Amino acid sequence: MKKKLKNFIFTELIYHEDPASFGEDANLLEAGLDSMGIMRLIMFAEKEFGVTLPDTEIEPDNVQSLNALEKWIRHAGQAQ
Amino acid sequence: MKETADLRFNPADYFTFVLDQEIRNDGMPGGYCGFALELAEQPDLERLQERLDLLVKRFPIASARITRQGKHYAWTPTSRRIELERHKCQGEDREQEPRRILLDIFNRQNTSPLTVHWIAAGIGGTLLLNWNHPLLDARGAKILLDFLAADNPEKFKETPPLIEAKLAQWSSWKKFRLFLKAKRHNSIANSVDSCLPTLVEQGSQALRLKVRRFSEEESRRIAVLAQEHTGLAGRTLYYLGCFIRAMEQAGPPAAKAGYCIPYAFNLRRQNAPTPVFGNHVGCLFARATRKQAQDRKSLFRHLLTQYQQTIREELDLAYLPLMWLGQWLSPAKYAGLLRKQHSGGELSTLWFSDIGDLSWGKKGFLGVPVTGMSHLCWMTLPPGLALLAGQLDSRLTLSYSYLHPAIDEDWLDTVIKLMDAELLESVEA
Repeated sequence: MKKKLKNFIFTELIYHEDPASFGEDANLLEAGLDSMGIMRLIMFAEKEFGVTLPDTEIEPDNVQSLNALEKWIRHAGQAQ
Repeated sequence: MKETADLRFNPADYFTFVLDQEIRNDGMPGGYCGFALELAEQPDLERLQERLDLLVKRFPIASARITRQGKHYAWTPTSRRIELERHKCQGEDREQEPRRILLDIFNRQNTSPLTVHWIAAGIGGTLLLNWNHPLLDARGAKILLDFLAADNPEKFKETPPLIEAKLAQWSSWKKFRLFLKAKRHNSIANSVDSCLPTLVEQGSQALRLKVRRFSEEESRRIAVLAQEHTGLAGRTLYYLGCFIRAMEQAGPPAAKAGYCIPYAFNLRRQNAPTPVFGNHVGCLFARATRKQAQDRKSLFRHLLTQYQQTIREELDLAYLPLMWLGQWLSPAKYAGLLRKQHSGGELSTLWFSDIGDLSWGKKGFLGVPVTGMSHLCWMTLPPGLALLAGQLDSRLTLSYSYLHPAIDEDWLDTVIKLMDAELLESVEA
């Protein structure tokens, strides 16, 4: 899951000189993930992993890193 | 491709060219945009000129001219040097004089795709980048400024248009499906007559500018309120909603059924140093009826739902095949489709762009601290008004470009005051 998320983020949303070196806990918001990017990322995750991510849970804690994203998506999947 | 080869417009370049032609047809200079940086000191102007020379060498399109090639248009390099134009404030008024010079430059008739100006005022001054929109978008202008000030300009490279790269990934069927979606989306947008900020549509017009710069504390509060009302994903929507509310409270001069504000989404990746030139944008709309504008909370909810729906249904991408097909239409015919509603009225309540977060950090611009910024752009009449938002070092700046005398300045002052109150959720809101 993290590999797919990472690939989408660095192919479509954020430029990084060396995406491979971007850690799973590194801050995506500080790396340049903006408001439009967050929405596109959420739509990608919903489609790719077949989950619905509640609007009320779109907050920094859930999107700030690859690990946080994975945890949020898995949690949302289990709740459905 | 050879460095001096012609470069055909990409679909978004043509989109902006069509609007440039509309503006010129009304006797105004054209689709020019301005990015003004206020600098605490004068930078090394010789070094800046050297960097401009390198720019033309590396990117011949920077001083190209537009040529027609059959049904299409292209940039044809001229190898002409871009001379840094130097201006000096003569008067005592250090606040107003740079603004007056800046507007004089912006209001002059122009055919160059890009001009660069230094307006000296005391020990500092204003650096102005004035460019024709088909040449590049606002994100590209920031990259261009970074190129001019970079320690390592070799990392800036030209890459193919992102729109065409995206289109190439899709099957013909997908392109067609998205095209139909975009058409349906347009039909909905065209069905609610848009309120406009002016009734006047004739006579000679000059571009004027009002800038509202918020303090760090105010900007922080606005960011918190934006997150509260439109979530992490919707800061731009917060600005748009606040403006719709402000205009509704002031009373739109051309009062119709609702509001429609087009805004761009950029295909460039955040922080990417390439591509430098070209437009890489699609188009989205924020729409609300006048009734929806009356309740603050429900307006934001409505705009956020509309935006989520747009992304969910891939309508953000649906504009790309539409723009691709638009390339085969004449500028006049394409402009008609872009601007006119079913009723024949103008679609856009105003022009809007959110340039996002900018910082020249500790290094400044060529070593000089950047103390402020503003943005300008010409627009069609109607609407005669453009709101350009951007954050410099976490301080929000709203630049209002407007046509005089088409826009009533007293009315605009009222709207700006109401906009401040809406953004800060103060008593008036």
